[in-house]
Amino acid sequence: MRSLMAKYAGKLHRDRSIARGRVGIAAQDDVMLSDGPPDLSRLAADVLSRLSCLGVVAASPSLPFAEYLLPRANAGAEAIVPLDTETRTFLHDIPILRREKLAGDPAAAIAALLSNRKGVIAEGVGIVASGPVTLEQAYIHYSSVFHACYVKYLLDALRDGFLLPGETEAFRNFRETFLRPLTAEGLSFRAGPLDDPEEVLSEIRAAGRYTVERGLVDSFFGNISYRVGGTIFISQTAASLDELAGCVDPVPTDNRSTTGITASSELLAHRRIYEATGARAILHGHPKFAVAMSMLCEKKDCPVKDCWRDCPDIRMLGDTPVVAGEIGAGGLAARVPPVIRGPGKAIVYGHGVFAIGRDGFGEAFRSMVGVENRCRDEYFRRLDARMRRTP
Amino acid sequence: MPLRQIMLVADLSSGRMRREEIPPELLRAYLGGRGLGVRLLRGRHTLSPFDPEMPVVFAVGPLCGTPAPTSARLSVVSRSPLTGTVYDCSAGGRFAWRLRATGLIAILVEGRSPRPVVLAITPAGQELLPADGLWTKDVGATVGALSGRGSVAAIGPAGENGVLFSNIMMGEGNAVGRGGLGAVLGRKNLKAVTVDGNLPVPVADRGRFDRARADVMRLFRASPVIFGELGISEYGTPALVDLMRQRRMAPTENFRRTVFEDSSAYSGPAIRAAYGAKKVGCYGCPIQCKKSGADGRHLPEYETVSHFGALNGITDLHAIVRSNDACNGLGMDTISAAATLSAWGEARGRFPSPEEIGALLSDIAHRRGEGNLLAEGSRRVAEALGKPGLSMSVKSLELPAYDPRGAYGMALAYATSNRGGCHLRAYPISHEILRKPVASDRFSFSGKARMIKIAEDTNAAVDSLVACKFAFFGASLEEYAELLSGVTGDPRSPQGLKEIGERIWLTERFYNARNGFTRADDDLPARFFTEAGTSGEGIDVPPIDRARFGEELTRYYRIRGLRDDGSFPDDGFLGRQP
Ligand code: SF4
Repeated sequence: MRSLMAKYAGKLHRDRSIARGRVGIAAQDDVMLSDGPPDLSRLAADVLSRLSCLGVVAASPSLPFAEYLLPRANAGAEAIVPLDTETRTFLHDIPILRREKLAGDPAAAIAALLSNRKGVIAEGVGIVASGPVTLEQAYIHYSSVFHACYVKYLLDALRDGFLLPGETEAFRNFRETFLRPLTAEGLSFRAGPLDDPEEVLSEIRAAGRYTVERGLVDSFFGNISYRVGGTIFISQTAASLDELAGCVDPVPTDNRSTTGITASSELLAHRRIYEATGARAILHGHPKFAVAMSMLCEKKDCPVKDCWRDCPDIRMLGDTPVVAGEIGAGGLAARVPPVIRGPGKAIVYGHGVFAIGRDGFGEAFRSMVGVENRCRDEYFRRLDARMRRTP
Repeated sequence: MPLRQIMLVADLSSGRMRREEIPPELLRAYLGGRGLGVRLLRGRHTLSPFDPEMPVVFAVGPLCGTPAPTSARLSVVSRSPLTGTVYDCSAGGRFAWRLRATGLIAILVEGRSPRPVVLAITPAGQELLPADGLWTKDVGATVGALSGRGSVAAIGPAGENGVLFSNIMMGEGNAVGRGGLGAVLGRKNLKAVTVDGNLPVPVADRGRFDRARADVMRLFRASPVIFGELGISEYGTPALVDLMRQRRMAPTENFRRTVFEDSSAYSGPAIRAAYGAKKVGCYGCPIQCKKSGADGRHLPEYETVSHFGALNGITDLHAIVRSNDACNGLGMDTISAAATLSAWGEARGRFPSPEEIGALLSDIAHRRGEGNLLAEGSRRVAEALGKPGLSMSVKSLELPAYDPRGAYGMALAYATSNRGGCHLRAYPISHEILRKPVASDRFSFSGKARMIKIAEDTNAAVDSLVACKFAFFGASLEEYAELLSGVTGDPRSPQGLKEIGERIWLTERFYNARNGFTRADDDLPARFFTEAGTSGEGIDVPPIDRARFGEELTRYYRIRGLRDDGSFPDDGFLGRQP
């Protein structure tokens, strides 16, 4: 258990979702184990001792976005509701605990909320997330809350500007120091088409790892596949992109075997994209600026309410089409294939990017980097324009 | 004004029947279904399963009758004649929904009728109908004869003749299976129960309920196991055949091996190709995981195809489907029937051929010839033949088609299950094999004691709601607590539901302890600790390390608050419960 605690603390550091050293992890078997700085490790253990769960992560995020969402929420609000797909599907909403509610017994207050939800934002503390089945789950839930807050804050800041003391400086710091240039430079991809399954598996592992190492996506958010003849090699459901060894399913395209029941929920989308494009490689991930930008729509008085699922339009972000669609058996598999063929990339509303490689992952990776960079630029262009209008 | 929750108490000895209100505090503490049934056994839990006063409880859950996904189910609870443990089984179909629509949430049957009877229930009342003409009839004929009375739960010849693994069958083909509750009804001379009604079930907070339902449906769509193109909605549970083969944990030839090379003969795609399988399922369930052939016959589940297949070395799909038909008609559990035949086959040096199986199943149900011994289940058969080690069972319940050498959480779950060797209590297949909600390392015991404990509690709550386990390949208690809050208007949290599950689980264990069960019963057959599974294709399947298994079991007891020998630290547990 200790090694798992160290592993997930390490991952949170590497993906830069926590402030340096600011993670407490608790896990319980027949005894309680906890690690991290005393305040956070004690809090994690205290929270965990009140829950029927295997692990808890309590950490200070590397960015103050979650913290900024609290004062922006209505005074009486008990939760924030980011509208990205991750939240909509898995988190539903994110409960918030304001400072005054944490005054007495913060662990009890946090545990009471965690008894209903996967993660909470506690003012002045950070994000606390639980893992009912495994410690990895607590890590995933932390990442999901961090991701959702990140995306929501980007959208809120663009809509409302900076409202809080210190926010302008913090945001400048985020923009100029935290964000690093995204690039595929220096990465080596095998030139395709690949036919040897061993080579395919090794390339899938490498491409998955690159997406995380380069900061394109956090490890849990995405899936990846490669087609060889009548077989799609696809990452398994709930697999981390940077840990795909042993987590890739070979799925025959004629469905003569159901071994791929553990394949990613996007299997059908991958299959239809291959059919529509003849591509060999597909990379899907949730880079944050692409997710945020896909949720911006300028249309006035549109009758559609559940845009993420029902929007019939194809919008363009630069040369990348954006379509609606629910994950899994929910329409995304029907909407993405018709639009991805020409540009080789597409964004799903609130969800993320699909990028294809006609022969190998190099093209798909560069394409996804391009989409995210373009969305980043466009975001800042709009933000700057907004700031110029209302300084 | 909260809805009154009514239970019918049917005393078959006297023929007297009465309707009783179940106190709201009992429902708050036990939910319904399994929990309510287990609570209602209190005080009679040490009676023999065949004692006329041993109750059989049919109980729906608080979501039944609403559009909550997968919740048109009920639990049947009593004490098992096969295992001697407290016993419950969750069943779907239409019976639960129609029972709820009579205005009842439970039926408690006690006593023994002097003659065979059918208990017929409508909103207007209930009656005991003479059933002499139905006695000896198979399930299909019984259901057919009662078809004008709504939904039917009936026993077949196996239940009448006291087969220890006889089922209660729902008219739609669903089974109250495994533990032999059919024999308990048979001993009570109760051939069938019919329910027919049309009373609606109110939903207190419609907005909250609808939001939660939409959340559940999104999670179902996001789950490859549920709605994926290779998932159970498409192929039914036989979707697991190929996966278990690939994971090298398909029990083969009485668990001597763990790969059956020809399992593709009865895989999901093979069944679809041979029978043109259509989707069917429980009332109102969006998943519709059951499959029926073009001729309307019910097609077998994963455990059934695997045990009538690999476990007995049979590749003939049609013979397997016929075995399933035979068990359903005779009212007999397919897993225990196939596993008992397999143990018997190994003991005599030859597994039964496809041609022999039909006659053997009929002999078991009628207790004819060798069938009379086989009707006792694998443990008693193996002991009678002087080879007790050949019964692949825990607490006398035959193990289903997940070899524990391929998933250590499953190994621990089999051992600790209150109803014996069953995959559905902690159901670690969900994370160890299907990666839901996240994957865990199947060849490690690390952390498994607590995972199993939490899952047992969670599933005790699920069985009391009563929802289907398959829903939890996508959704979680988080969404189901919301559905419950919406239906009752009484806010519930997943944590609170797990605490209820823990109370139910400990109550069951306490009953079992009073009936003589100890740590020695929380064990696997020796084969799993001494013989390797079938390694290959880069997967090593060694025997389970007995010392490590014992260590994790001790850890599990500590987490449960039990002594290291698995016993309760004091006698007062029941007295402290509502
Ligand atoms: S998933 Fe299958 S077994 Fe479960 S309720 Fe639905 S149809 Fe019934």
